Amino acid sequence: MSPDIVYRLRGPAAGPGPGAHRARDTGGLGTFRDQVPFWRHPDARRIDLRATLRDPFEGTVVRRFEQSRALEVWTLVDVSASMRFRGEGEAWALVTELCTALARSATRIGDAFGLVACGARAETLVPASRRRGTVEAVADALAAVVPGGASAAGLAQAAAGLSGRRKLVVAISDFRVPAPVLAGLFEALQGHDVVPVAIEDGALDAGLPAFGLIELEDLEGGGRRRVLMRPSLRARWLAREAERREALRRLALRHGRPPYRLAGRFDGDDFSRHLLGTAA
Amino acid sequence: MTLLARFGVTAPGWLWLLPLALLPLVATAQRRVPVPSLALVPADGLSRLVDAVLTLAGMAAIGFLVLALAGPRLAGESVARTGEGAQVSLLIDRSGSMNETFAGRQPSGAEESKAAASRRILEAFVGRRAHDLVAVSAFSTSPMAVLPMTDRHEAVRAAIRAIDRPGLEATNVARGLGLALSQFGPGAPQASRVLLLVSDGAAVIDRRVQPLLREEFTKIHPTLYWLFLRTAGSPGLADRPAGEDSPQAAPERHLDLFFKSLGVPYRAFEAENAQAVDEAIREIDRLERKPIAFVERRPQRDLSGLAYGLAALALGLLVAGKLAETDLAGRRPASREAAPGSAQTTRRAA
Repeated sequence: MSPDIVYRLRGPAAGPGPGAHRARDTGGLGTFRDQVPFWRHPDARRIDLRATLRDPFEGTVVRRFEQSRALEVWTLVDVSASMRFRGEGEAWALVTELCTALARSATRIGDAFGLVACGARAETLVPASRRRGTVEAVADALAAVVPGGASAAGLAQAAAGLSGRRKLVVAISDFRVPAPVLAGLFEALQGHDVVPVAIEDGALDAGLPAFGLIELEDLEGGGRRRVLMRPSLRARWLAREAERREALRRLALRHGRPPYRLAGRFDGDDFSRHLLGTAA
Repeated sequence: MTLLARFGVTAPGWLWLLPLALLPLVATAQRRVPVPSLALVPADGLSRLVDAVLTLAGMAAIGFLVLALAGPRLAGESVARTGEGAQVSLLIDRSGSMNETFAGRQPSGAEESKAAASRRILEAFVGRRAHDLVAVSAFSTSPMAVLPMTDRHEAVRAAIRAIDRPGLEATNVARGLGLALSQFGPGAPQASRVLLLVSDGAAVIDRRVQPLLREEFTKIHPTLYWLFLRTAGSPGLADRPAGEDSPQAAPERHLDLFFKSLGVPYRAFEAENAQAVDEAIREIDRLERKPIAFVERRPQRDLSGLAYGLAALALGLLVAGKLAETDLAGRRPASREAAPGSAQTTRRAA
């Protein structure tokens, strides 16, 4: 069992109730935030006596406290056929692992977790819920899904269903999707905190063979192609991959966080570090 | 006839399997490696070339194997061609005296009989002239048709090789000439015709036969060469006998006179040794070079060996492709265990 995933929203949380995340709301409980005149926060129970006495203008000062809020965490999972890829790691297993770990971590601190499968169209597999049983629901739903189909256009559509309060949206895909879909995804999720998780595989970059004949078959039905691997082609291939990754990183950064590269093995701590490190 | 029209197969039923040659377009013997998207592979000309070559090799391997099973062949044909040469009718004396040397003795040691010398030299003559049609006849008491007019020089050489077998007794020139003339077929009237008589003596030509021969010569109009292998000490063609000048007393001289009176181009060579024979033959070789139309027969050719060879070549390419096959590093074999397994662990955790 992987450790809990610790995450933080970029900016204040605005969840549907009290929870574990810092929010802009103020109230009478929580972490001390500031002192304001009584007229701005007329709560007689929170009058700061020392500050009131110290005030040369004889005003009455009230303490305000930060109200922490719960979040909704949504995962958008690309279920196009390319997610069936098995290289050094197994893409779909990685997805399952990440989703269940995140669902468990979220429900443990009172956040709601929801899951949307995005193939040609978006389909909500698990509606956002704080129930403890959400983990099982997520695991069962993902086990039942067989990635298929050539399109991941649902990624951009799924965002439409996530209106309302600011949410943490984890978009899991290999991001080998047409540029308009990618741009549409980030556009539509403008108001939310988007964490792109790029499923990659060592076998498709550093692990590429330097020599040999290899017959590649497109998982999404794009045909097959024989490729004569040699160092020059491998170098071009790697350069192309690096370029694609860089383009994705630049697009993602423009909308918030850089993508998290998930390859080979899922490491919960590493993911937590990424989530906390890019939340600022 | 074009090459395609001559092409045929022995067992056409097999050709129904030919559509199988399209299989490599849809199937492959290589291990297929699934990747998320082909878009990640850079365009590569060399790879496309290798792909095309391997696909074609697959199609060729199946196609040629099927073809080879059907038994391909090229039908035989006759090709009319023009070369430089002549129709040569060889008339060779097989009388007993041909077995003697030019000195009139039985050959011993390094000596060569007249028959052996003429055999050696005629063989070389035939070998030099690739497009000649050659007929071989021999005569002694009666004429022998050895070989009809043919362009198969192997056969001609074999016929010539046989002339130094020990000869028979007498010399009957008239019937021999008749046979040699009849060897010229009706074909190729514009070709130059050569009658080459090789003998070491002559005989009287019957006065009753003479008009017939004369008529034949006029009709066929060959160039007549007489290679007279003269034994040392015997009378030459120009020598008048001391006594009565009759055909019986000097048959050579009178045969020569008869030839001269025929009205066809005629030349006699008197050869007293092997070297002189050689020179005479060279002279004839030099003179008789005119265009000749001849028919070349080509036999039916079996092409299944070629088809099997091409199929083997294509298969070799495919095997090379298979041997060069590689895989993505660390790719796991397919298994569906992972997903339910992780679901189990999460359930326990929950």
